[in-house]
Amino acid sequence: MNTSIRRRALATVLVLFAAAAALFAYASSHSTTVANGAGLAPAQTGSGENLYNGKRGGTLTVYDSEDFEHLDPGEAYFALDYEIMYATQMPLYEYLPNNSTTVSPMLASGQPIVTDGGKTVTVHIKDDVHFSPPVNRLVTSADVAYAIERGANPNVANPYFIPYFGDIVGAAKATGGPIAGIVTPNATTIVFHLTQPTAILLEGALSLPITMPVPESFAGPLDKDKPTQYGTSSEVFTGPYMLESTAAGKFLGLGYQPGKSATLVRNPNWNPKSDPAPAYLDRININIGGASQVIGLQVLKGSDSVQNDTPTNANVELAYTKYYKQLYAVPGAGDHYVSLDNAKGVFSNVNIRRAAYAALDRAAMVKVAGGTIVGEVATHFITPGSAGFTQSGGLAGPKYPWNEYPDGNLTVAEKYMKAAGYPSGKYTGSQSVKIVGSDNGNSPEEAAIVKDALTELGFNVKLVLVDQSVMYAKYCGVPAAEVDACPEVGWIRDFADPQTILYVPFWGPAITPTNNSNWGQVNNPQINAAMVAASQVVNPTAAADAWAKVDDMLVDQAVAIPWIFDDQPNIESANVRGINDLWDVGEWDYGYTSLDNP
Amino acid sequence: MTGFIIRRLLWGVVLLIAVIAVTFMIFYLLPSVNPAILRAGRNGSPKIIAEISKDLGLNHPIYVQFWNYIKNIILHGNFGYSYYYNDPVGGLIANRLPATLSLTVGAAFLWIVVGVPVGIISAIKRRTLLDRAAMGTALVFVSAPVFWLGLIALYVFANDIGQFHVFPGAGSYVGLTVNPLKWFESLLLPWMVLSATSTAIYARLVRGSLLQVMGEDYIRTARAKGLSERRVILKHGMRSAITPLVTVLGLDIAGLLGGAILTEGVFDIPGIGRLNIDAIGHGDVTIVQGTVLVASIFIIVANILVDIAYAFLDPRVRYE
Repeated sequence: MNTSIRRRALATVLVLFAAAAALFAYASSHSTTVANGAGLAPAQTGSGENLYNGKRGGTLTVYDSEDFEHLDPGEAYFALDYEIMYATQMPLYEYLPNNSTTVSPMLASGQPIVTDGGKTVTVHIKDDVHFSPPVNRLVTSADVAYAIERGANPNVANPYFIPYFGDIVGAAKATGGPIAGIVTPNATTIVFHLTQPTAILLEGALSLPITMPVPESFAGPLDKDKPTQYGTSSEVFTGPYMLESTAAGKFLGLGYQPGKSATLVRNPNWNPKSDPAPAYLDRININIGGASQVIGLQVLKGSDSVQNDTPTNANVELAYTKYYKQLYAVPGAGDHYVSLDNAKGVFSNVNIRRAAYAALDRAAMVKVAGGTIVGEVATHFITPGSAGFTQSGGLAGPKYPWNEYPDGNLTVAEKYMKAAGYPSGKYTGSQSVKIVGSDNGNSPEEAAIVKDALTELGFNVKLVLVDQSVMYAKYCGVPAAEVDACPEVGWIRDFADPQTILYVPFWGPAITPTNNSNWGQVNNPQINAAMVAASQVVNPTAAADAWAKVDDMLVDQAVAIPWIFDDQPNIESANVRGINDLWDVGEWDYGYTSLDNP
Repeated sequence: MTGFIIRRLLWGVVLLIAVIAVTFMIFYLLPSVNPAILRAGRNGSPKIIAEISKDLGLNHPIYVQFWNYIKNIILHGNFGYSYYYNDPVGGLIANRLPATLSLTVGAAFLWIVVGVPVGIISAIKRRTLLDRAAMGTALVFVSAPVFWLGLIALYVFANDIGQFHVFPGAGSYVGLTVNPLKWFESLLLPWMVLSATSTAIYARLVRGSLLQVMGEDYIRTARAKGLSERRVILKHGMRSAITPLVTVLGLDIAGLLGGAILTEGVFDIPGIGRLNIDAIGHGDVTIVQGTVLVASIFIIVANILVDIAYAFLDPRVRYE
């Protein structure tokens, strides 16, 4: 190589280095850590928004990289599905978007009447609500009864029928036919007779989509299909909007194209006088699919649009720094915790669980998840905005030594290791610890923090990362898989009753060999008894106290390690007056959302 | 030739059955999710899961399920039912095929009309600045992942999020029959992105192949006979040089017809690739099997067509 070529090569290398350095400097100056930073203004939460100052008209575009699961009110059990359900149907009761604790009558004409010591619930319904075409007729109490009864039909297989409606007389053995404990004495009255005084839970459950009326004459033939075709191909509606449908009520291929789009239009039979939703928008076009990163930018830089699913961390940071008014971080979107196998293995020892709890740097996990915009460090299990949260210590949580240090405290942890029989404060036994986490998003990093904490305590840790659905279906939800810890499990309330947060994941008798949601196999007799007692308290305040006590017991026993109270980040275009449902993990409420310039 | 085609078709059928069997086995041997559990939802009880398993035929032994699947495809053209969408898989694939077809055909057209001439010019102008610039650019596009290239293209040229509002952005796809002009506009950027890598590969392939051919004796003979350089290159040189290109082209197009997963994902084009990737996420085995089967059919048919084309393009190739 002669001198001139060498000089040219050197010059090229220097130019490339200079360019790389310039790019790095540019990137550094434009990157932010605001999501994790302290002392900055928190993102808007959506609480206390005026629901009735929008303008009528216009078309909202909704970008949604995920598809819906079910559009049948009897099957829907997913936050995105609920968006469609509550915009197109009227349940007996519903939480207003800015209120997650008090239900308002929707199809019902007033509050439920509880009698017989909490064993009978009577609901009167409005007499001016009609079904959309082609049914067109008035909704009656029989339509509500059928809607609930079909939940037990295996072709519908409502996922929460037994937990919330199982105490209705005859419901436990129902298969879709009439249930003895549901009586409709006239067209506007429905009465529920319960086997136990669990009226307070049923009252909350009457806000779920299963109470949205379904006409048997229309849905009955469709319910004979396996699975039902009601909500898959055809449906009738009672809310302000409906999926665009043919005259025969078929929406598949028109108002809903799987994996492509959904279109909501005004329901011609909707009666605005019987529904508190102002229904400002004329039309909602939901675009299904696409890369989340691109969608987020389309929403932030574009107009008339919202992103339906969770934006990427990069877009949340961008919104926070450049489009602050277009970002909401809605609290009460559930929680996440590290499940610990209470039944066998090292974590069957309560002091080892407490040690693990104390050692874990939960603040670091929240930081990895996206920082304070996407959540707070969790200190117990009842989530913010739910009855019992304050009674259980609020954000500070119950006062136990292992719960005092969000950043983790090895000294406290070692104290409990010693109490567990390890004088050095480190584990010296022969058992290894198997952790199974999700390989999606930030989860691997979060799982690594759990692994590090346990390794510091002397455990030999094996970390397995799999797809999130596999994590639940093959490992964490299968007791026989003998997983010691799952760092990514979480729960979202079904409604504001704390029973819906604590019952399924921590109630011993609910443990099943597959599809188990009591991931830590928590089966503590005292906790079980306290849950039974709390579920039968009729007075709402006393019930909240009783569930807060259960929450305290769960932390005392360190049955799992709560690490984040999730907030739901949502982004909208500058001209959208988006309204978030505080009760539905912050999802958009199309019944109240409007455009500034329709 | 007829016997050859029949033999190839029969082997194609055998290969298809083997592909179905392998795909089927993958979902039973690897840790996927029981569709009945997915269908039953978050609180699905063991009773409900068992009931759904029975309805879906998942309670039968694997060989019975496999036999039923094959039987339904061959006798009824039935690819099964999607667990997630509750829809026939055949219908879902047919619904998505036009978008994938539009994307693939347009991109293939683009990479041929750009890649082949660039390769020829590079070969003719070997070691000139033009050649180096063309091959240097080709190297960049060969190295660039299509997902990254797609995002960069959107950030620069999309009319919603780009710096220069030139092309319609992600999610703008409309069907050809709905609005031909919008269909064309919406696919311009995806075509360019999808064809970029292939254009580069084809340019390099044509250049290398042509350079090799141009050194052959029969090219020297053609020149000696006084033929024009254009005729020597296009008639004698390219005819030989294009043979390996046909092989790659057939397989490339067939592969993309099975779904250009990344391009469809970035540009939000509802094609077979996106259907497939969504189905993998949902654990929707029947859709994955259906899309794999369709992709296999395309590849096998393309292989047969390539073999036949060989006979016409290269006089040295003859089939008994």
